Amino acid sequence: MSEYLLDMRGIVKDFNGVKALDGIDLKVRPGEVVGLCGENGAGKSTLMKVLSAVYPYGTWQGQICWEGKELKAHTIRETEEAGIVIIHQELMLVPQLSVAENIFMGNEIKLPGGLMNYSAMFKRAEELMAELKMPDVNVALPVYHYGGGHQQLIEIAKALNKKAKLLILDEPTSSLTKSETEILLDIIRDLKRKGVACVMISHKLDEIAAVCDTISVIRDGTHVGTRPMSGMDTNEIITMMVGREIKNLFPSEEHPIGDVFFEVRNVTCLDVNNPKRKRVDNISFTLRKGEILGVAGLVGAGRTELAMAIFGCYPGQYDAELWLDGKQISVDSPRSAVMQGICLVPEDRKRHGIVPLQGVGANITMAVLQDYAKFGVINAEKEMHQIEKSIARMRIKTASADLPIRGLSGGNQQKAVLSKMLLPNPKVLILDEPTRGVDVGAKYEIYKLMFELVKQGLSIIMISSELPEVLGISDRVLVIGEGQLRGDFINDGLTQEQVLTAALGQFSELAA
Amino acid sequence: MAIGTQNLKRFFSQYKILALLFAIAVIWLFFGQLTDGAFLTPRNFSNLLRQMAITGMLASGMVFIIISGEIDLSVGASLGLLGGIAAIMDYTYHFPVSVTIVTVIVLGIGIGLFNGYWVAYLRVPSFIVSLAGFLAFRGVLLGLTKGTTVPLESPALVMIGQAYLPTLLGNLLGLGLFALMAVLTFKTRAGRAQHGLAVPPLWQDAIKLVVIGAVIVGFVYTLNLYEGIPVPVLVTLIILGIFSFLAKQTVFGRRIYSVGSNLEATRLSGVNVRMVKMLVFGLMGLMCAFAGLTTTARLAAGSPSAGTLGELDAIASCFIGGASSRGGVGTVYGALIGALIMASLDNGMSMIGVESFWQMIVKGAILLLAVWIDVISGAGSER
Repeated sequence: MSEYLLDMRGIVKDFNGVKALDGIDLKVRPGEVVGLCGENGAGKSTLMKVLSAVYPYGTWQGQICWEGKELKAHTIRETEEAGIVIIHQELMLVPQLSVAENIFMGNEIKLPGGLMNYSAMFKRAEELMAELKMPDVNVALPVYHYGGGHQQLIEIAKALNKKAKLLILDEPTSSLTKSETEILLDIIRDLKRKGVACVMISHKLDEIAAVCDTISVIRDGTHVGTRPMSGMDTNEIITMMVGREIKNLFPSEEHPIGDVFFEVRNVTCLDVNNPKRKRVDNISFTLRKGEILGVAGLVGAGRTELAMAIFGCYPGQYDAELWLDGKQISVDSPRSAVMQGICLVPEDRKRHGIVPLQGVGANITMAVLQDYAKFGVINAEKEMHQIEKSIARMRIKTASADLPIRGLSGGNQQKAVLSKMLLPNPKVLILDEPTRGVDVGAKYEIYKLMFELVKQGLSIIMISSELPEVLGISDRVLVIGEGQLRGDFINDGLTQEQVLTAALGQFSELAA
Repeated sequence: MAIGTQNLKRFFSQYKILALLFAIAVIWLFFGQLTDGAFLTPRNFSNLLRQMAITGMLASGMVFIIISGEIDLSVGASLGLLGGIAAIMDYTYHFPVSVTIVTVIVLGIGIGLFNGYWVAYLRVPSFIVSLAGFLAFRGVLLGLTKGTTVPLESPALVMIGQAYLPTLLGNLLGLGLFALMAVLTFKTRAGRAQHGLAVPPLWQDAIKLVVIGAVIVGFVYTLNLYEGIPVPVLVTLIILGIFSFLAKQTVFGRRIYSVGSNLEATRLSGVNVRMVKMLVFGLMGLMCAFAGLTTTARLAAGSPSAGTLGELDAIASCFIGGASSRGGVGTVYGALIGALIMASLDNGMSMIGVESFWQMIVKGAILLLAVWIDVISGAGSER
């Protein structure tokens, strides 16, 4: 028998030849809390999906030993029966069903004949709630009566009911308030005493430090190291997380930077589902003419929400004050943003960027189609002329401008979405993860284009989760953490460590 | 190689239409066989087209609703209501025909925009909005007519539904249409050349024009063998022309497709998507007015039950004609071919004496089949 509850060895997982995990080890002892850290895209979520058989046995290489025996699970059900339960970042509760019904979903206690045994389920649910120090919860009430913190705990109750021996928590505190987070961390400590092991994925190093016994760091799909938590400090963890040199992938070009001409003041966005929580908490910043402003921060820090608020499309309640060229402007919809010279290339290309069934050309001219029309009738030749110009300028590879855009590669789709948002001649261009899912060649071209644009006097706000990209391209870097502005740095000798420290910790401003 | 794949894709999108035309040919031959040729006479062809005209008008509006990702169940009821209003204005209040027609058209657009406002701005699902209209509009009609049939007085109004074009006018119209197609083809060629874009070879356009000419000649000739082109059929064809132009050549048409294919991306490109949706419903209302006037004129009376289940025939026509239940895909001519298939089945089954309950079962089965084909053909594609 091994001393480990879980022993993952040499896990390799690739997607179409790209290695997302390249020989990762992860060991968990019974009752141990392991913090799993790594930058965005390091492979944490992929590793957990391998463990919980979201990627079934056989689609990856390596070995998983569970309680000393090799685990070859093909379905999530098998891993759950073994005692491995994953709680996703996005909670999987049905809001309209009662707390008890959610806890027993797919696992109902039944009476003969298939009827639900509500009294038994309520009783057990109440026991679980008491165990989680939430005896006040009325298990017969629908889940939507309770806030994000309670819901997180209901998920945990659901896991405990499945007799979980290992809980995997993926960013469990990302939608919780401070006090809710405290309660959750207490519960994790409590579970630890009861012998339930836990893998906690989090960007919040203070939380990791507060509950974890061991920390395991992965980077770019490889295992960097596993250390006992005691004796580690945040700087060491950050160094382990970053550890990579910026290669010369970025065609930095000199460009003149003018005066401040765009100001964003007091942006606050409330969480759509949990309005007590601020996704963006009173952020203000300025933008100069011809400047590339990088916006760094960890996933879920509130960067996309900030961009959406500026573009007038944040789905929940929000406040934002915008000043362009010394005049206050009011933006209440993407339409008014585009008309006033603010364009956004969204993060989620498939959902928000492309109209999949329409041609590449129709996608490109979408925002300015009326310019090629008289009395609403499109001048097809004039439009096609512009489309061919855009396709040539961006070097979009497509057999024809009429082909549906969904057939193009990610990089070419992104170039088309970029061309679309350039045609209205914006003064401010917001790029949210402009190079996500884009191959290296297309990345380089997008960077080139960005420099070309700022030389023409446009200003760019670039949100990116790739620190090397932020540091390689930006003139100035804003760092956002937990909805707050954590840093505003001139990018002159700025390092990844500095940015990460700011993102994880308190506000710090280097002398400008 | 690049051009090869492009042509292949073009072929496939046209193949869908070929399959539909093939289906029509099979249905016609089948009924022709069973009726000893009675189905295939010019007289029945004329009847068939007149039968499909009303469904065709509704389907022409409905197809845009479906492309934009919505549904409208109220069109049968609003057809009835608008037709009833036309009859009441004519018979009870003796309004001039022109006033009656204009009023009904304005009311129709109003009803459509009202539905559209609820869907687009007040965000009530179109299924519910139109289900409410389905009940309420029929209720208003029953209230106005007190449940009785209202006869028509003006012969001019009756002509909308029952008249035929004189042979000569029909011929001239066919000729005019052909000339228009030819001019458009050459204008497109000249325009592309002027902007330095690739121009397709002359023979391709020439063949296209010859095919169009043959279809026009066959169509006009057959109808002239009977009484001439029926007015409702002419109206439907004009709608087909205008709406196809609207779909392909206008900003509004382009917006309808992109709203249906990806609403969020369209909105984030700075398009007023709500306005687009509302206008699509307005267009549907206009078609209800046309269909209502035609129905009343054809029956020479406003009937409280006119248009019952008309929405279902229209919706089925769109899906049979290749519109996608997921939105973003569909054509006006497809919807009309769908309507023609439905009308052919109705007409043929009636001629061979199939009982009406069987007709309903067959039509239901075909609708189910058509949407299933759409679902499986889209299942493998990423969306």
